[in-house]
Amino acid sequence: MTYRIGKVDVNALRGVNLAVPPGEFISIMGPSGCGKSTLLHILGGLLQPSAGRVLVDGEDLAAMGDAARTDMRRRKIGFVFQRFNLFPALTAEGNLNVAERIHGDGAQKMTSEERREVLRLLKLENKMHHKPLELSGGEQQRVAIARAIVNRPAIILADEPTGNLDSENSAIVLEMLQKLNQEFKQTIVMITHNPEAAAIANRTVEMRDGMIINQGSRA
Amino acid sequence: MDSLVISSLRQRPTRTLISVLGVALGVILVALNTGLVEGMLNDRLRREQGVGAEIEFARQSSGGWSPSSVMSLDTRYDDPLKQIAGVKTVSPVGRHVQSGNSGLGFEVVEGIDFPSYAEMSGLQIIEGRVFQADDEVIIDQFKAQHNKLSVGSEIQVFGKTLKVAGIYAPEIGSRIKLSLDALQNYLAAPNKCSTILIKVDDPARQEEIQQQIAAKLPGNHVILRRNLNLGMSNSIPGIKGFVRAVLGLSVVVSTLVILLAMYTTITERTREIGIMKSLGAPKSYIIGVIEREALAISAIGVVLGFVVSLLAAWAIERATTLQLEFQWSWLLTAALLGLAGGALGALYPAIRAANQDPVKALAYE
Ligand SMILES: Nc1ncnc2c1ncn2[C@@H]1O[C@H](COP(=O)(O)OP(=O)(O)O)[C@@H](O)[C@H]1O
Ligand SMILES: [Mg+2]
Repeated sequence: MTYRIGKVDVNALRGVNLAVPPGEFISIMGPSGCGKSTLLHILGGLLQPSAGRVLVDGEDLAAMGDAARTDMRRRKIGFVFQRFNLFPALTAEGNLNVAERIHGDGAQKMTSEERREVLRLLKLENKMHHKPLELSGGEQQRVAIARAIVNRPAIILADEPTGNLDSENSAIVLEMLQKLNQEFKQTIVMITHNPEAAAIANRTVEMRDGMIINQGSRA
Repeated sequence: MDSLVISSLRQRPTRTLISVLGVALGVILVALNTGLVEGMLNDRLRREQGVGAEIEFARQSSGGWSPSSVMSLDTRYDDPLKQIAGVKTVSPVGRHVQSGNSGLGFEVVEGIDFPSYAEMSGLQIIEGRVFQADDEVIIDQFKAQHNKLSVGSEIQVFGKTLKVAGIYAPEIGSRIKLSLDALQNYLAAPNKCSTILIKVDDPARQEEIQQQIAAKLPGNHVILRRNLNLGMSNSIPGIKGFVRAVLGLSVVVSTLVILLAMYTTITERTREIGIMKSLGAPKSYIIGVIEREALAISAIGVVLGFVVSLLAAWAIERATTLQLEFQWSWLLTAALLGLAGGALGALYPAIRAANQDPVKALAYE
């Protein structure tokens, strides 16, 4: 993946080869600037790679147009960011509703029971009428996770989801991700700087200078 | 309801208010101007129909209806007209147009031959007496009430100060009348008038008589006054162009206001747009959110515009002799123009928002 800044090319990723089988939970570690976020954005179809192939369920994202990539993201991918990225003017409930509305597809939607269960696991039952500014960072991230999974995406892409959280909240978030992976068989790619966080994944991929230097091995 | 739309409206109260006012302004423009035009034409039409003449004889095709009409018809046509079988009464009328006394619109002053005009129309003096000198006029009750005039009051006509000699009823023709002689003197047009009104013995035969007049006095225009409403809006010069200009202006106002309002919020909302994209929102969804917000603003503006127009109409009617008539078709036009302007104005910002790069949008501070 090459970014172009004026006349200078920045090779954010070079020759990355990564396969994630369905249902696997991998973590990606590496120094800042090594291309982790770029990789995640490409996997989620937010970025178009300058070369190479990105296969999601056998479909090549790199060969798709913007609309098709957006549609694939809508159907199959849930993003969780370090900065939470909630709609600031909407309540937690409102944030979930917008995600459902964008997704639109009723078949995949959680039943209200499943939704209640998820909110219970995330300890959010009493927070749904609060706006992001009225919530702690940990609560905001839990809402963001709830929002990422209301449409049951096959794949969850998390970019330093615990980067802004204290250890207690980090534990809740990680536990939730693990549960999603184990119970709902969701495929998870999580970027993290925290070795303890990385340890809950099935394997840890190490990156440096736009390359994967260690594919890790299944625990 | 759409929470992204509502929360955005509520989060930016000043922007919402100002853009609502902008759309309302466009609606008010259309409602008041068409209301004035319709009110003026219909009021005029009602009063003209009360005059009691079936046929009008004139030189111009507009039958002397044009406010710019000059007195170009010789009053001596009244003799040959009287000779025609079936004609009952003939009354020459001169018309002069001056700008309205409140500075709004314009006002017609008629010079009449009182005996024949009164015979034809049943006009009666209900207070004071008929004009006797060139500086005396008679006015109708509406004019007297609205302008707080009574017998003996002074009134400005042709930029001169004349006196109210009497008040007449019913309200027919112009609201200010003086003698045709006086009008001829003021306009230096001896023996001239604008039009000659003709009442026939048997209204059922008016078409037949119209044809006889046209045959006997060729080269003139002989019109049936029951068709006046068709000719009126055509005869007031520029009225259609004026209305069209007002409609165009209204769209431009609402388009620009919404364009500006939405354009500025798009930058503010860059992050939100990035979030929508990360959730897989297609461009159409993002355009839809922005457009719905613009339409909501426009709809509130339309309602506000109607309310203000009604209040303004009430105030204008109280303060002046102008009459306003709101027609559903025009109000509907005003509403549609407001909504269309809003939708159009939001389109460019919406498309820009939808085309933002998601990763950059998410990184936006
Ligand atoms: N939009 C961009 N334009 C140019 N260079 C970029 C852009 N985004 C990231 N980069 C560069 O690409 C490299 C990888 O960035 P990133 O993927 O964000 O790293 P990480 O997430 O591992 O910290 C860095 O050198 C960064 O400066
Ligand atoms: Mg990063």
